[in-house]
Amino acid sequence: MTSLATESLVFVYPDGTRALDGVSLQIGGGEAVGIIGQNGSGKSTLIRHFNGLLRATEGRVLLDGQNVNERHVAELARIVAVTFQNPDRQIFAGRIGSEVAFGPRNLGVRGTDLEQRVEEALKAVDLGPRGAANPYDLGFSQRKLLALASVIAMETPVVILDEPTTGQDARGLERVRSIVRRLVGAGRTVVVTSHDMRFVAETMERVVVLRDGQVILDGPPEEVFAADRWPLLGTTHVEAPWAAQEGARLGLGSTPTEASLFTALQAWGGQV
Amino acid sequence: MSETGGVPEIVPEFVLPPPTGAYRRLNPTTKLLIALAEALIAFGVRGWSGPVVVLAIVLASGARAGVGARLVPFLLATIPLVASILLVNTFLYPGATDRIFVLGPLAPTWTGLVFAGQATLRVIAFAMSAAVLGLTTGPDELVADLERRGMGRRTAFVLSATVRSVPRVLERVREITEAQRARGLDTEGRIWRRVRGLVPLAGPLLFGALTDVEEQTMALEARGFSAPARRAVIRTFPDSTPQRALRLLLAAGTPLVLLVSVIGMLGFLP
Repeated sequence: MTSLATESLVFVYPDGTRALDGVSLQIGGGEAVGIIGQNGSGKSTLIRHFNGLLRATEGRVLLDGQNVNERHVAELARIVAVTFQNPDRQIFAGRIGSEVAFGPRNLGVRGTDLEQRVEEALKAVDLGPRGAANPYDLGFSQRKLLALASVIAMETPVVILDEPTTGQDARGLERVRSIVRRLVGAGRTVVVTSHDMRFVAETMERVVVLRDGQVILDGPPEEVFAADRWPLLGTTHVEAPWAAQEGARLGLGSTPTEASLFTALQAWGGQV
Repeated sequence: MSETGGVPEIVPEFVLPPPTGAYRRLNPTTKLLIALAEALIAFGVRGWSGPVVVLAIVLASGARAGVGARLVPFLLATIPLVASILLVNTFLYPGATDRIFVLGPLAPTWTGLVFAGQATLRVIAFAMSAAVLGLTTGPDELVADLERRGMGRRTAFVLSATVRSVPRVLERVREITEAQRARGLDTEGRIWRRVRGLVPLAGPLLFGALTDVEEQTMALEARGFSAPARRAVIRTFPDSTPQRALRLLLAAGTPLVLLVSVIGMLGFLP
């Protein structure tokens, strides 16, 4: 299992924008971490540091204790896979299967191993039977799942997903959720950025909240979405998920997930 | 239409501040015609006179517009072309026999050197002229003024969309490169690897551009782009009688200068 860490990470864009301002994080191997915050809070900038696409202006980014600055992006791609917000920025192949095979092939995977990876990745996103179809025959949400499959097939110990829930319907959301759970279950470290608080609360075991390039909250969903944190969440335009709001309204404590709300309601019913 | 003002009539000043400085305040079409005339004379008038005079005028205009220092990167950008012009013509000018020196197979000639010098000045004069126009005139301003003067809205849109697409395409290239590098594409390794890496970059770029055009076209149509009514002009630019006279002079005078040069009547000039 591979761990990630940032130490007082600062990143300043060439135009002078200080996108990250002293971010220090420790993400253990096999952990599922959701990064949230308003647009421009530094989420995408932060995750681009984990595979070396951006290099720290100050501070360090560590992968299993090793500074990523000393390693090439193509080399880091063996350890950290990243999907981006817009799938159309990466899809280029004429067939879905070839698109999924692109990443593993770059890592030197060949033959039956490659075929097996492609097949399994497509199955995971429910595109199994469509391997020979053109990616652009798929709708946007399915192209996002295809982009996800293309990094699953790389079988890296760290998977980073930038806004995987955007444009997904309920079925797509459930698909992404089950993929994240499966990846974590297989011992892979998963970092997800999202604006979907329900998805984050239901899927991730830890939530990091960014505002203006700084970490303002970091903890399990029960802590981060607890009612006494809402004013702080509001400063980065984040609203607690529906279940947390209902739980607080009914005086049931912090219930960020529907399951926790249901459990709290059951306990409350038992008391009554 | 205002004769002297520098302020758009409909868009208020706090939205679009008027340009500062005399050269910047010239009407966009005037500046376009100046640049065209400079380019034609730099390339069309034989000998040293054309490019030297144009270069002097361009540098003076640039200084007047306050963009003198910003011309340097454009000048540096001409170095590869200028270097190749100098090398090829000085060493390989066809038929030239007036050798400067002989060093093994190398035999530069005076004829080649003079030709290369003139060609270099023409290229630099043209580059500086285009740079002054670009640095003092926003593409939107130019297109808006040309449209007001009767250029078709489709032509205006194509021109403006083309210019505005440049930063968008550059941003997309960056995003696509990042996405493919994140999947292990080596864009920094050996040359053949980089060439091979162009395919995954070109595909999304081309598709994205086509999608953009389609979406933009539909969005325009949805907002009445093809409606038969004449479009309202929301930005106007200062113009004046001297500027109109200058444009007339440039439009009539430039072809005349070129004609006189071609038939050899400017032979007295260096």
